[in-house]
Amino acid sequence: MRGILLLTRAEINRLRRNRRYLIFTVGLPVVLYLIFSKAGKTVYGIDFAAYYMVAMATFGAFAGALNGNAIRISEERKVGWIRQLRLTPLPAYAYVIAKILTSMALTAVSVTVVLLLGRFEGGVHLAIGQWLVIAVVVWLGSTIFAALAVAVGYRYPPDQAQPITLMLYLVFSILGGIWFPFTGVLGNISKGTPTFEAITISTDVISNVSVPFYLIVGLVAWLAVFAALATLSVRSMAETV
Amino acid sequence: MSHSGTGPVVSFENVSKHYGSLKAVDGLSLELRRGETVALLGPNGAGKSTSLDMLLALRKPTAGRILMFGKDPYHAVKSGSVGAMLQSGGLMPEVTVRELVTLVAGLHPRPVPVDTTMRRAGIADIADQRVDRISGGQTQRVRFALAIAGECDLIVLDEPTAAMDVETRQRFWSSMREEVAEGKTLLFATHYLEEADQAADRILVINRGRLLADGSPEDIKKRAGAKRMSFRLPGADEATLLGLPGVVSLETRHDLVHIQTEDSDATLYAVLDAGYRPSEIEVGSLGLEQAFLAITAEDDRANGAEPAAAAH
Repeated sequence: MRGILLLTRAEINRLRRNRRYLIFTVGLPVVLYLIFSKAGKTVYGIDFAAYYMVAMATFGAFAGALNGNAIRISEERKVGWIRQLRLTPLPAYAYVIAKILTSMALTAVSVTVVLLLGRFEGGVHLAIGQWLVIAVVVWLGSTIFAALAVAVGYRYPPDQAQPITLMLYLVFSILGGIWFPFTGVLGNISKGTPTFEAITISTDVISNVSVPFYLIVGLVAWLAVFAALATLSVRSMAETV
Repeated sequence: MSHSGTGPVVSFENVSKHYGSLKAVDGLSLELRRGETVALLGPNGAGKSTSLDMLLALRKPTAGRILMFGKDPYHAVKSGSVGAMLQSGGLMPEVTVRELVTLVAGLHPRPVPVDTTMRRAGIADIADQRVDRISGGQTQRVRFALAIAGECDLIVLDEPTAAMDVETRQRFWSSMREEVAEGKTLLFATHYLEEADQAADRILVINRGRLLADGSPEDIKKRAGAKRMSFRLPGADEATLLGLPGVVSLETRHDLVHIQTEDSDATLYAVLDAGYRPSEIEVGSLGLEQAFLAITAEDDRANGAEPAAAAH
């Protein structure tokens, strides 16, 4: 356990120095929020500034978990760092756990920043319980993408992991309704994405309606599927890292 | 030393590793005893790296059993009894050398003070540089530092001096001798036969995944036919010369004859008895390199294959 925490601390220090990563996870959602939060009146029956806050918090969290892990894991596998770590007394699973903990630590920062921005810049007023539920849903939801990133990073070499990550990033942000809501057939597909589910749970919490059970089931199912994929990737690559 | 038992430090019991039809390691059995410095020699593709990978729990044997300190390799590695440096190992990018050594030392149950490790590995002067911005030789030394960042009983090194210049290599071996003097066991794979000759007290020659020779450098040289002999002899008949006592192999270039022999005296007398009067006779010992090539080439011929690539 101590080893995992040491590795996590080192990982967090690395990411803090990585400007590109910070721009993606914290910078981009903040800038977008500052520009667009006043662009609409209401959407999904709630104040646009509140909706956009949730959308940007989700965006920062999922983009950070995906971009921060997939390509890095793939590269670290390629240079042999994962192999080197396996020669230390650190247990074999520690590397993946540390990656996910690191991702959660930095996602917590980006979610907090965006929610604070919503409160003080967007003028969003919610009860303390609502703030907490939104923060926790978006934050825990990001682990879905951390798991997906592990699956991609272990399975593909960097030159393939890069376009695959970009594609997943676009699919889940566009189809998830982060940029604009869909209607019709695409709207139905959109409803199945974890990004949409996390946003909708949050907007339901904001409008004080009860959250449909299937949204929660949906998020848990995505997590289970991607965690299984990640486990398969790690296992099948065990002799080639 | 946590390992106080008298059993072998490492044992391979009939270990094989197959990739499809390729037998990378084929029924390898060996034991390493405490305090030994053992060199693993073999041409490219002989199974050296695969054997070390299995020993370090990076790969699982297809058949057979490996024990380290009486435990399975994974648990031996996780208990911190072994420090290892592999060619394929890499470094965590975006951190400084000191941060990385500190991290890895922290993962050990018996960490060595970071400054001691950095001094031993000769990287104190690059402590504050980022690991992704140092040269190949420096990277090699950092990887060595990671291998010795914790107190361990066995050190495993795969081609440790490959990217080092002569001076660094000498310093490396003098720090290695310090480690061995403390009672540690050292296993290293190398392409530098001279290095194996000087540093190791035991040499394992493997080829095609099998153990061909196991002994002191002197044993290995003896086993290959201990002497080489050369002379000039116009019109020499190869078949006759090959039939002389002691001759292991023979090579002629114009009128220059090179012979490898188990008994140089007997061979020389027989040459003279056969009525030949060669000139410029030279007799000398076989180097480890020639011994190694002779042993692996003989094995390749016995297997009806082209000799594998030479050691360099």
